[in-house]
Amino acid sequence: MSDQNFLTLENLTLAYGDTVAVKDLNLTIGKGELVAFLGPSGCGKTTTMRAIAGLLSPASGHVKLDGVDITRVSANKRNVGLMFQSYALFPHLSVYENVAFGLRLKKTPAAELDKRVRAGITSVGLTDYADRKPAELSGGQQQRVALARSMVMEPKVLLLDEPLSNLDARLRLDMRSELQRVQKETGVTMIFVTHDQGEALSLADRIVVMKRGAIEQIGSPEDIYNRPTSAFVADFVGFENIFELSDGRLKTPKGLVEISGPVPIAAGLAWRPRMVTLGSGPFQGAVRGASFAGNSREYLLDTPLGPIKAEVDAALPSHELGAELAFDLPVAAAAQLRKFG
Amino acid sequence: MFQNRAEALALALPAALFAAAVFIVPVVILLSDGFRAPGGGWTISAYTDFFSSSLNQAVFLRTLKLGALVTIVAAVIGYAAAFAIVSLEPGAKGKVTGLIVLPLMISPVARTYAWIVILGRTGIVNQAFQALGISEAPLRILFSETAIFIGLLQLFLPLMIISLISALENMPKDAIPAARVLGANWFQVFWKVILPLTKEGVVIGGTLVFTGCLTAYITPAILGGSKVLMLETLLYQQVSVSNNFVAASVIALILIVMSFAANILLKRVATARNKTTRNTKGTA
Amino acid sequence: MMARNLFIPITLGLVIAFLIGPFLIIVAASFSAGETLAFPPQGFSLRWIAKVFTVESFRDSFFMSLFLAIGGTLAALILGIPASYALSRYKLPGAETIRTIVSAPIIVPGIIVGLSLLRYIVVPFQVGITLALFLAHTALILPYAVRVVSASLGNLRSDIEEAAVLLGSSRLGAFFRVVLPNIRGGIMSAFILGFVTSFNQVPVSLFLSGPGVRTLPVDMIAYMEIVFDPSVAALSALLAFMSIGIVFIAERFLGFSRYV
Repeated sequence: MSDQNFLTLENLTLAYGDTVAVKDLNLTIGKGELVAFLGPSGCGKTTTMRAIAGLLSPASGHVKLDGVDITRVSANKRNVGLMFQSYALFPHLSVYENVAFGLRLKKTPAAELDKRVRAGITSVGLTDYADRKPAELSGGQQQRVALARSMVMEPKVLLLDEPLSNLDARLRLDMRSELQRVQKETGVTMIFVTHDQGEALSLADRIVVMKRGAIEQIGSPEDIYNRPTSAFVADFVGFENIFELSDGRLKTPKGLVEISGPVPIAAGLAWRPRMVTLGSGPFQGAVRGASFAGNSREYLLDTPLGPIKAEVDAALPSHELGAELAFDLPVAAAAQLRKFG
Repeated sequence: MFQNRAEALALALPAALFAAAVFIVPVVILLSDGFRAPGGGWTISAYTDFFSSSLNQAVFLRTLKLGALVTIVAAVIGYAAAFAIVSLEPGAKGKVTGLIVLPLMISPVARTYAWIVILGRTGIVNQAFQALGISEAPLRILFSETAIFIGLLQLFLPLMIISLISALENMPKDAIPAARVLGANWFQVFWKVILPLTKEGVVIGGTLVFTGCLTAYITPAILGGSKVLMLETLLYQQVSVSNNFVAASVIALILIVMSFAANILLKRVATARNKTTRNTKGTA
Repeated sequence: MMARNLFIPITLGLVIAFLIGPFLIIVAASFSAGETLAFPPQGFSLRWIAKVFTVESFRDSFFMSLFLAIGGTLAALILGIPASYALSRYKLPGAETIRTIVSAPIIVPGIIVGLSLLRYIVVPFQVGITLALFLAHTALILPYAVRVVSASLGNLRSDIEEAAVLLGSSRLGAFFRVVLPNIRGGIMSAFILGFVTSFNQVPVSLFLSGPGVRTLPVDMIAYMEIVFDPSVAALSALLAFMSIGIVFIAERFLGFSRYV
């Protein structure tokens, strides 16, 4: 065991009854890493997380943590923290007792327990709320209680289920910096699950994109954002113009279309709307829709390639609906997809 | 909200007056009979007389014991059953809940009657015991406290299960896995999370079951016979055999007091647990 | 984890067997060809089911119970619907007291209700047994009627009556035109709950029986004390299927369980 493979999932297959949710998944996570599981609902990300926590036992495969195979260790003996999407605070207990819950079960001596609980509550900025019941707190405060409750246990891994999705924009920033602070101060290994690419990109060291129970791509936020390797990931991170390649030509609804420049050997090519050159180029399209987005303008074009989305600087003159425009899909800028479909 | 008081009273009073005339006044007179001294004036001698009889004491204690026992066993089975039901898929959940509720629609006479076939001298249980060599002669299960216990449990268990299903369903999502992840074993999960969060459900269910046991007549009458009496069957016997209306009045008041007391006691227990959890944070 | 997977089916299997099993045994026993009640049944015949229809006292008491269940429930609704309406739509002083009085019969043991009625209404006022039974069953059903109709009124916005009045309807007209049609499901559910409760009720009716006047369950108990043949099993099974059928239809068409 080294720090690089602190947590490993080996050939993990997870099922609810007869429904297979995750199939033959392999993943290694290093100590102190902040990893995001990113994917649409039903991709198996939450299921994988619950299996790491021990709330779901695998149909086959292994979970190893810190050199120990914990596949058959029950959830209450794993020392893995989990912050639920619903926070799952105990409504009958005060903030203090919620945070103390796990330490009491471990029969922590009273003095030490009090010290750790108070430190935990203080670290999330809720010192004055220790005696309140969860129902008397705002959503953001409840979430911080949930964070403190997990962290006082000094878990080996902290799992977070959609940690930012229930919060409004301002609180989202607060919680993001809170999680980064916790990670920096404690060095805890964190895995969080999200369906929001923005959340994953802004918070994670490494992103694991999942699709239908399998890993689609693993990479740094830059990799995922700039170099998606499959049509699925490209679509998920905002590449709106995605084409399959066949013999160096683009596959479109109206047949194969030649494209200029040295075409790489790939399964497909993808362009973000702002990678599309508008006003010049070999292709023609009619403006079917236009929308203004502050700094930029987005156009939807009807083209022989099918619908194309383009984004240009708002300072440039705007185009009327129905206007015929020339455009180009520059091959050099495109993301090269190894896998299509 | 309408304000017209006369209109409201005209609507509500017929029902209230009817209930008062047919029910409250006669019951209150009946209860007062137990305090009437033979020569006029008031006395509690009927109550001291009642409790000085060892037979009556035994019946009173048996009623209390069976009521408490059925309530506790129903709660234990009820938690297991309700927990199993809420973890089913929605479709299966509805069907199983339907099967649990079904017996409530069947006449208690029919439900109790079945136990004669099962527990009687030549009943299924005795047939099985003898076939397996557990007993040689048929056991006398019918006309015993055991038979009444089984009958009452079967009669009222659905009420407990239904109360607990709705209590469990109202528990916050993920409270149980949260406790697991924080290190609680299944016993601790039940004791520290499920029980405190469902105590209202178990109190409602417990009150229904206990009150049901006190007021059940058919089950002790059929399964207890004329020897193993409970307060309801004793009351009936006092009236129909001994024509002793004073004793009947005494038993009636005891039954009413017992069900109210059980109700209050159970509510107390629920709030007391709440207090201890609130206090621990003070000492910590 | 394996243990948990088995926990659910085993628990539910045992509980359902305990709750439903005895009823199935009764059904099986009623097809017996033997002379006495036994399980497993001796042979197969329909003789006991046929016998149920030939016992005269069963027939009389069945119609008595049917009359009480229908008449008592209707009377309870006639008293209970206006009361529920007043309790949920008016600011009424003493509303809680009225609610307690109306719901009281549910918390007092039925045997006491029957006995006190016998002693202080039937005997002093020379009231007939049938009328006494009718009064007792009405009082018994009243709490259910008020509870179910109140719940159904509670789910209905109260401003629709105000809207009807503003559109020119009288208050009474508004009740019949807009309120009643909207609480029909609740009223039907109250009717069924009342019917089943009354039909299965024993303790209240126990003291209220005279020559030839008995409710069916009381008659069944009396019959069992004398004859121990499978005809009571057959009757129980028939009645149970009747109740289940009614409730099943009610659930199917009214969503009965919403109101109970």
